[in-house]
Amino acid sequence: MQIRLAGVGGQGVVLAGVILGEAGAIEGLNVVQTQDYSSASRGGHSTADVIISKEPIYDLIVTKADVLVALAQLGYSTTKGSLKKEGLLIVDTDLVKPDREFIGAPFTRLAEEKTGTALTVNMVALGYLVAKTGIVKKESVEKAIGRRVPKGTEEINLKAFRVGYEEGLR
Amino acid sequence: MKYPFPVGKSDFIQGDEAIARAAILAGCSFYAGYPITPASEIFEAMALYMPLVDGVSIQMEDELASIAAIIGASWAGAKAMTATSGPGFSLMMENLGYAIMTETPIVVVDVQRSGPSTGQPTLAAQGDVMQAIWGTHGDHSLIVLTPATVQEAFDMTIRAFNLAEKYRTPVILLTDAEVGHMRERVNIPNPEDIELVYRKLPANEEEAKYPFGDIHGDLIPPMPIFGKGYRTYVTGLTHDERGRPRTVDAEIHRKLVERIVNKIERNKEDIIDFEIFELDDADVAIVSYGIVARSAIRAVKMLRNEGVKAGLLKLNVVWPFDFEMIEKVAERVHAIYVPEMNLGQLYHLVKEGANGKARVELIPKIGGEVHTPQEIVKAVKRCEKCI
Repeated sequence: MQIRLAGVGGQGVVLAGVILGEAGAIEGLNVVQTQDYSSASRGGHSTADVIISKEPIYDLIVTKADVLVALAQLGYSTTKGSLKKEGLLIVDTDLVKPDREFIGAPFTRLAEEKTGTALTVNMVALGYLVAKTGIVKKESVEKAIGRRVPKGTEEINLKAFRVGYEEGLR
Repeated sequence: MKYPFPVGKSDFIQGDEAIARAAILAGCSFYAGYPITPASEIFEAMALYMPLVDGVSIQMEDELASIAAIIGASWAGAKAMTATSGPGFSLMMENLGYAIMTETPIVVVDVQRSGPSTGQPTLAAQGDVMQAIWGTHGDHSLIVLTPATVQEAFDMTIRAFNLAEKYRTPVILLTDAEVGHMRERVNIPNPEDIELVYRKLPANEEEAKYPFGDIHGDLIPPMPIFGKGYRTYVTGLTHDERGRPRTVDAEIHRKLVERIVNKIERNKEDIIDFEIFELDDADVAIVSYGIVARSAIRAVKMLRNEGVKAGLLKLNVVWPFDFEMIEKVAERVHAIYVPEMNLGQLYHLVKEGANGKARVELIPKIGGEVHTPQEIVKAVKRCEKCI
């Protein structure tokens, strides 16, 4: 399963990819996680690739994505070509205007309203992705969040993840 | 000993992090470096871990000083490592030669990025292969390892230390930005299950008199440790068996340099490591190493599905080089393809090894991206058609 997360610098796209990958590793699956970002820490394009499989993985980057999560228009426009024809497109419905079939929710707005900061948009989107695809278990992601987010931010990130997860179940 | 990271289980980490952890498990107690993308994460991890395992991690003023510091640390008895990327690796060439000439066990990690000069700092390449082997001047040999996965980066770091100690030589771990920054699941063994090698020390005062003499007939002299009671002279000048400079005697120079080369060459069988995939009945062979070997494995499977009997020889050690093995492969196939993230480096060694027994074709790629399996398949099929 090839998953690509795309956005702009500052949205935490790479961290979301690392956490998704770690959740897969916790479940004993093979995982390759790579990233591509511009040198700007805010505003440039940012992409995280996660490949999860029971088999050995030879691929390094996502070439035919099964799932593309786009958190910004720039992220969408630079990566949309990599999504399979029958692939699943998940977008922040406030910020991305796709030119194909999609699902999604206003992730950034949800992050602001439910956790008080847009910074948790990556966790909201990750929750939504996990609920919609079931690629890894909710518990594995929660464990990975506990390990990977900056100390002191575990609670708010977990909360954001659950907001997205609930949204995905609706 | 308590380790500052989990052992005896798997973890999800970057290649650079895996190298740092493996170094500590291999017994590395001294790290000196200068930050550079894409090797900085090794330094960051060493700076974090070393104080917790009673080791030393020090930032030097540049890469010249970094390699000089680890050479000194090694003579003081420590297993020592530095890590850098192309621009820093270029600066290390002078003292790499010094480490070879003084037979100092050290591990130098080169996380290759795209050059020349400062090039593309964040992007991967395999442009330093010839530099790793021949970058320093004069006749010499050393060992160069090439990991393709995060697990291999971990395993080969431990092996790099073991080979350095066993053969009293610098060992280069030649990896790249892709392996360095990629995260994968890595099995980190229990420390008691890791086999470690330690350098041969002089058994007595008599042996300590010959820190550069083949006194055991294995071409590897025991190495005295500074501060352990022996007087030893260490110099980059041509020296005799006692270490004294002898700079105009052709015979002494020949004996010394040939021994330094032969201790690697004559132990090729122990040092060289490779893997083969579907090579037994292959018509075409792909010879690959490092990160590109992953795409090559996929390419072999895709080619077989399309009716081309392809096989892969994946080199885990690119120096010393097994020219004879390449010739044997060349005798059984009609073409050998060498995909490399450069404009042709290992290709020339493969061509020399093939000795005219098979056509050798380069599949070059530069600019920072690894060959996709599809690109290798396309290149092979295009060439196979033109015969």
